[in-house]
Amino acid sequence: MLSRVADAVFWMARYMERTDNILRALRTNYIASQDEIQHFNWKLWVDGLGANTKPSAQQYTYREALYELMLNRENDTSVLTYISRARENARSVQDYVTKEVWQCMNDYYHLIRDKRTEQLIMHGDPVTAFDDLLRESTLFYGTVDITMNRGEGYTFLNLGKYTERLLRALDILELKIKEMENHESEAVQWKFLLYALSGYEFHTKFYRNALSTENVIHQIFMNLQFPHSVLYCLLQVERYFKRLDVISLPENYKEMEFLLGRAISNLRYGSPEKSTTSTIKPFIDNTRTEIKALSQKLAILYFGYS
Amino acid sequence: MSFTSLLAEYTTRPNVWDEMCAQGEIRDHYRVFFESLSQVSPAELVRKDELAKKLFMSQGVTFTVYSDGEGIEKIFPFDIIPRIITAAEWRHIEAGIKQRIKALNIFLKDIYHDQFIIKDGVIPAALIHSCSNFLREMVNVQVPFDIYTHISGIDLIRDSDGSFYVLEDNLRTPSGVSYMLENRSMTYRVFPGLVPSNHVQSVKDYPDLLLKNLLAISNRQNSQPTVVLLTPGIYNSAYYEHTTLARLMGVELVEGRDLVVDNAKVYMKTTAGLKQVDVIYRRVDDEFIDPLIFNPMSILGVSGLYYAYRQGNVAIVNAPGNGVADDKAVYPFVPDMIKYYLNEEPILKTVPTYAMENPEHLKHVFENIHKMVIKKTNESGGYGMLMGSSATDQQIAAYREEVEKHPRHFIAQPIISLSSVPCFINNSIQPRHVDLRPFALYGPQGIEIVPGGLTRVALREGSLVVNSSQGGGSKDTWILS
Repeated sequence: MLSRVADAVFWMARYMERTDNILRALRTNYIASQDEIQHFNWKLWVDGLGANTKPSAQQYTYREALYELMLNRENDTSVLTYISRARENARSVQDYVTKEVWQCMNDYYHLIRDKRTEQLIMHGDPVTAFDDLLRESTLFYGTVDITMNRGEGYTFLNLGKYTERLLRALDILELKIKEMENHESEAVQWKFLLYALSGYEFHTKFYRNALSTENVIHQIFMNLQFPHSVLYCLLQVERYFKRLDVISLPENYKEMEFLLGRAISNLRYGSPEKSTTSTIKPFIDNTRTEIKALSQKLAILYFGYS
Repeated sequence: MSFTSLLAEYTTRPNVWDEMCAQGEIRDHYRVFFESLSQVSPAELVRKDELAKKLFMSQGVTFTVYSDGEGIEKIFPFDIIPRIITAAEWRHIEAGIKQRIKALNIFLKDIYHDQFIIKDGVIPAALIHSCSNFLREMVNVQVPFDIYTHISGIDLIRDSDGSFYVLEDNLRTPSGVSYMLENRSMTYRVFPGLVPSNHVQSVKDYPDLLLKNLLAISNRQNSQPTVVLLTPGIYNSAYYEHTTLARLMGVELVEGRDLVVDNAKVYMKTTAGLKQVDVIYRRVDDEFIDPLIFNPMSILGVSGLYYAYRQGNVAIVNAPGNGVADDKAVYPFVPDMIKYYLNEEPILKTVPTYAMENPEHLKHVFENIHKMVIKKTNESGGYGMLMGSSATDQQIAAYREEVEKHPRHFIAQPIISLSSVPCFINNSIQPRHVDLRPFALYGPQGIEIVPGGLTRVALREGSLVVNSSQGGGSKDTWILS
């Protein structure tokens, strides 16, 4: 397939996955801020999720924060921008994604730009808006699964999806740790972290005890039954990457395979023995650096077209 | 709404051929459809109209207008009432277009090789050599199967007596065929059951016929030639059409930056390295396809593409240089071409055309300016025209100055009042003017025309300008079997 198209499919999947992850995290945060956590630190999230270079406001009310993170067209890291970019990418590869997938993304785009969505977020019940948007997101995953052929396009789509999911898990974990440093109770924070990653119910069943740092960190990094865990995502990246064997130039394939293998080993055998919020921070950084290098290498070897 | 009350509001204009009504009576071929329509309440028609808009929006059949860095999605206006053409009328159109395309194609071959038509004095040499779309670079280039006009969109209009005239031959990169396909799939959502009960011929074959022709002109000895569709990119207003055609044919949709020329062969850059391209269906204008030969500022094309083409290593569809045949100043000579090359009488009429280079014509035109339309020979899309019937004296004077500066760039034609068809506008059925653009495909096995085409509608009351850039819309076109 065309390198440009592979690139666009990869990034379309990354933006879609990012949108999904961020919507789930924001939904959880919003609910937390309305109930259990009295003085929710929205500034931390606006700064943490955004890449804004301009200095942000001192404080954010929940409506301001939601506007910034969801609807602000000027903000490169708002949900609206992500969905628009995903759609732009899909638009340029319409002959590769199926018509159904394209229509699904198109509906998603029209929904986030809908006046009603804005009204719900700014003046009404934001949870309804989150649920509507997440339904579109879920539809997207289902439509991809049911309609796309399992060729190269699907492979690059999944490489993008799992790379992004992994990076998002690391980001959200890091932000939660920052919140804890601002002395919020750990147990409550861990609970909301797991909610945000759709892993709370699973945690109570799998670990069968009160939330401990050790177990939460294990779930997020190592648990292979948890579809948002770093190891799970990385193994999925490896699984899909291996499908490229037949079409790749041998030297490109080898180079990527080596980097991937090393990242998996470092993750499996290089994690700190005793996980605490302070020992895990450098580990998060290292893992992120390694994954980003991997993604850049993929871009050079497979998407290089200029 | 009853049958008669629907019609009561339908007032046709004098001296206009109405395709549905003749002296207050419904023509036979509209009868079946109109009986179904009269069972539908006006409120229901409004709902159908809204459904069509919603479907276009959610299917992304839109074009994007960029302002302030933000894209606004627009849909081409679609009128839900189909336009109906009888089988007999279609046979006439089909034969006429085939004849015309055949002659124009021979003309292109002749004009870029021996120029017999000039030597025999049928067309003046000056006319050809002053045409900015005559490409010297195409002289003596052998094109596969001597086919230049693989895809053409012929614009037809109907005069007050109902006869068909050719208004323009679009032989370069005609667009609109995706709307022919989309409009049909819209009709069966809006009016379930009516397409089969009216015995309408299908247009679905178009992508298959086109692909068959594209595969056939590959020069490489290969059972599976690589065909690509070259688009200027997502900012082009016809981008939706490019993606639709690529998808329906299952060919790669490429941009200039995806292609590279090495050793006079064209390759595309894929995840598995370079892959040779055999046939390019380009939707990029001649001027932009190769910066080494044509516009050096272009980044839409591919450096070296033209050299690869001349070597015969890649086929380009449509052939470069076709603009010389659809130039508006060459247009009045097409009937002569048909007689000269085919020894046949033209089947379709052409509109009388006055060359502004001729001082007598110029005088005649400006004396009768209120019945005339003046057009630039080199422009399309309804731009740069002067409609004498609606222009002010000032506009006419200013335009005359332009014309006198470069008379070769202008032609004039008497205004032909296009035929009208019923449209659903402001909650009632009203007549509006239309034209028709069928698409002809020319392959090694001959010319084929899918029974249908793009009907463009001038949505403003009384307007004769159907171009989408100037308030035009479209509707489904039914050819009965």
